[in-house]
Amino acid sequence: MTAEHARSRADDHVRNVTVRGIAARVSVRPGVGSHTDKPPLLLCNGIGTSLEALQPLVDQLHPDRGLVRFDVPGVGGSALPPFPYPIAGLASWVTALMAQLGHRRFDVLGLSWGGGLAQQLAVQAPRRVRRVVLVATGTGALMVPARPRVLKIMATPRRHRDPAYAAKVASEIYGGSMRTDGARGAALLHGATRSGPKRGYYYQLASMAGWTSLPFLGLLRQPTLVMGGDDDPIIPVANPKLQAALIPHSQLHIYQGGHLGVLTEADELAPIIDRFLDGDSPDPMNRDQENTR
Amino acid sequence: MTTAAGPVRPQKTAAKKSTGPKKKSPGTKESAGRTKSTGSSSSAAAKRAASPEAAPEQTAEHRRDAEGETQESADLSASTALATPLDLLLANASASPIRRFIPGMSGVKFTAGLVRHPRVVARRTAGLAYELTRVGLGRSRLAPGEKDRRFSEEAWVKNPVFKRTLQSYLAVGAAARGLVDDAGLDWGDDQRMRFIVDNLVEAAAPSNNPFLNPKVIKRTIDTGGGNLVEGGRRFVQDFATAPRVPSMVEADAFEVGRDIAVTPGAVVLRTDVFELIQYTPQTPKVRSVPMLIVPPTINKYYVIDLAEQRSLVEYLVQSGQQVFCISWRNPDVRHADWGLDTYGQAILEAMKACEDITGQDKTAIFGICSGGMIASMVMAHLADLGEQHRVAAYSLAVTVLDQEQAGVTSALLSHKAAAASTQASREKGYLDGRTLAEIFAWLRPNDLIWNYWVNNYLMGHAPKAFDILYWNADSVRMSAAMHRDFMDLAIRNALVTPGAATMLGTKVDLGQVTTDSYVVAGIADHLCKWESCYQTTQLFNGDTKFVLSTSGHIAAMVNPPGNPKASFQTSPSGRGQKGTDNPEDTQKWLTQAVKVKGSWWDDWVEWLSVRSGEERTKPRKLGNATYQPLDEAPGTYVHDR
Repeated sequence: MTAEHARSRADDHVRNVTVRGIAARVSVRPGVGSHTDKPPLLLCNGIGTSLEALQPLVDQLHPDRGLVRFDVPGVGGSALPPFPYPIAGLASWVTALMAQLGHRRFDVLGLSWGGGLAQQLAVQAPRRVRRVVLVATGTGALMVPARPRVLKIMATPRRHRDPAYAAKVASEIYGGSMRTDGARGAALLHGATRSGPKRGYYYQLASMAGWTSLPFLGLLRQPTLVMGGDDDPIIPVANPKLQAALIPHSQLHIYQGGHLGVLTEADELAPIIDRFLDGDSPDPMNRDQENTR
Repeated sequence: MTTAAGPVRPQKTAAKKSTGPKKKSPGTKESAGRTKSTGSSSSAAAKRAASPEAAPEQTAEHRRDAEGETQESADLSASTALATPLDLLLANASASPIRRFIPGMSGVKFTAGLVRHPRVVARRTAGLAYELTRVGLGRSRLAPGEKDRRFSEEAWVKNPVFKRTLQSYLAVGAAARGLVDDAGLDWGDDQRMRFIVDNLVEAAAPSNNPFLNPKVIKRTIDTGGGNLVEGGRRFVQDFATAPRVPSMVEADAFEVGRDIAVTPGAVVLRTDVFELIQYTPQTPKVRSVPMLIVPPTINKYYVIDLAEQRSLVEYLVQSGQQVFCISWRNPDVRHADWGLDTYGQAILEAMKACEDITGQDKTAIFGICSGGMIASMVMAHLADLGEQHRVAAYSLAVTVLDQEQAGVTSALLSHKAAAASTQASREKGYLDGRTLAEIFAWLRPNDLIWNYWVNNYLMGHAPKAFDILYWNADSVRMSAAMHRDFMDLAIRNALVTPGAATMLGTKVDLGQVTTDSYVVAGIADHLCKWESCYQTTQLFNGDTKFVLSTSGHIAAMVNPPGNPKASFQTSPSGRGQKGTDNPEDTQKWLTQAVKVKGSWWDDWVEWLSVRSGEERTKPRKLGNATYQPLDEAPGTYVHDR
């Protein structure tokens, strides 16, 4: 059995890549078959979680699709950067990372905090980013806010470090199917994920301070799919609706579920993402909003 | 940010290689990058091909050869210390760096000691004044040590200003060190004061000062101050995050899985605690008994799988062994309660997988460092259960089981500090490897701080690419429970007394272990002293072949055949019976030992082959139905920072 053989069995390949002096843990799944020459999909994770947390979604996306996942600097297996970074700096670092991996053009999917990064990438690197998927994410500082108690829980990384606490608060902050099963949220956050230093989480929080995508959403030129759950305590459903209204070539998909719906109900939502990325979407110039509900 | 690597590479810091391709010359990184897609063998070839570039330096460097080697051996032994099991864990990792330099009671005793000997102090002060006068008049003969690379620049000898600066420094430093001798302290306080005084004296060296080091001044003029700008950038980057010491290697000097840890294989088992890597056989026939490597828990496993030709794993595979290796997970705050039992259980799980995959009822085990301690406890556990026959051969490298004569570091540390340290790790959930890196760097400041201070910050050079240092910088955490358990073992020296420690519910009695064993130590290992490693031969009851390799902790282990200077010592009969071949007294052993030319790797593989069963055709694929290959080597856990 050769190394090649092992790769074809399990094609996700985790490695460390150093970009601008920061060693990042990256998982790369090369596109095969029909997707060999298509731009890969870059997955931007929620706050404080390592790339393993996206596994349920990865398992449901088209098996041939090229995928890139990474741990944000200071989180999971990536090195802590010396200083806090603004989101624009991180976006520039991510494009450098993708270039180093050999992808000058790619699609991007952002979940929650990663959705902020995805919006920034879309406006900052319009020639690099082909299509954008925003899942359960808002417009930054200027958005319809969550309830104070939810924000308070989000303000510390404790739920990523203390499984008992995570089980306790999961239903409250993630909503959807976790309302009945908090342990599932804890399992999602703790199964195989890696935990970074607290400082990494605070860097992530700080990077979004004062940032908002509201003014530039109208400038986005990429076809964009905006997804949101109708029972999401962190991102009230008004937010995805607002984003879809402001982004010129956008589709809106509101699903039944909570903040992590794209992970817990991946079997239903991944095909929608695949369809959108493969171009089975309305003509970008013809603004069309689709609401499945 | 770190793109300005190659062109400014200094020839001064280029250490002479003694074994294999360790160092990449400036052009190498690009060539390795270009050959990336064609696989690791060609990148290693590129590494070798690039070495002629360094040839013009060779003659000029001839004189420096000796120094280079000293430096390298210092690097080697220094870089290894993190792998030392207990000495360092005892370190008061809870204290801030400054705390470690406050002399406390030792300082009081030091002062008191000096007050008690006024005449000696007066004589020493007068001596210093006399010497300084001679320095001023240009009559002093003080000169730095032959091998002191800090003052190799000609200006230190020829320029009267620099010469006087250097001589004054040497005179004052010698006087300060002499005062410690004069104080007449007991051993512990003496070691502690010596540590602090040495640190201060070394920090004060004129070579560390950008205004007093001719080499730096020259470079500042040459580059128009660019070196200091670049150095400042490096300084900020290094000191913004722990470990707050100069980086000894660039973050992108190597890539795990591309230049190092490249022996092909697959992960056949993944648990919460570890990944088990099975290596692809490279010979048509393999030994039937599998071999399981238990690496240290304190650093990543790939010290035994460095670059090609320097990889112990590769060597074993090419010698026809079926090699399995554990890659420990880097624990985080959620794994605070992983203790010795967790790791012992993991070894048993890995053994079961090895037996199942190869269809054997036994395994050969090879423990390294702290991995060797846990494996030894598992051996005792198996012996207690009557399952000792499951281990065909037992090998240990640089492992100290008997802590009686712990290393230098123990003098700096106390039980109180140890307790404070476990307390701190309990609160945090883990012991941060980066804190240990800081502590260790300050134990050898000349090699690990000031050398890089001048090179990285004052000269503005990138540190050279050296695989062992890269490995060393890839620190891991230790779970709080493991830290507590290890410290407890060390303080009570519990492995020596039968029944003093437990493993998975059975009492540990190493005397019950009757399996043949092969024990390796390094003669220059200043942290796991070879004498301490040797005590293992007195603990086990089987035939224990003790092998004393040259060089230090890691260099003793990373010791590929082909180095003409390599040699080792072992007992003349080669059987290793307790009492006759392995007498109690280490000196007696040393006098009767015979010296063998070559690397112990060859000797060990020979020893193993006798004990690892018949040869059989290599398996067609890795793993089996129960243990499906999950990922290719080196797996995913090795990438966790």
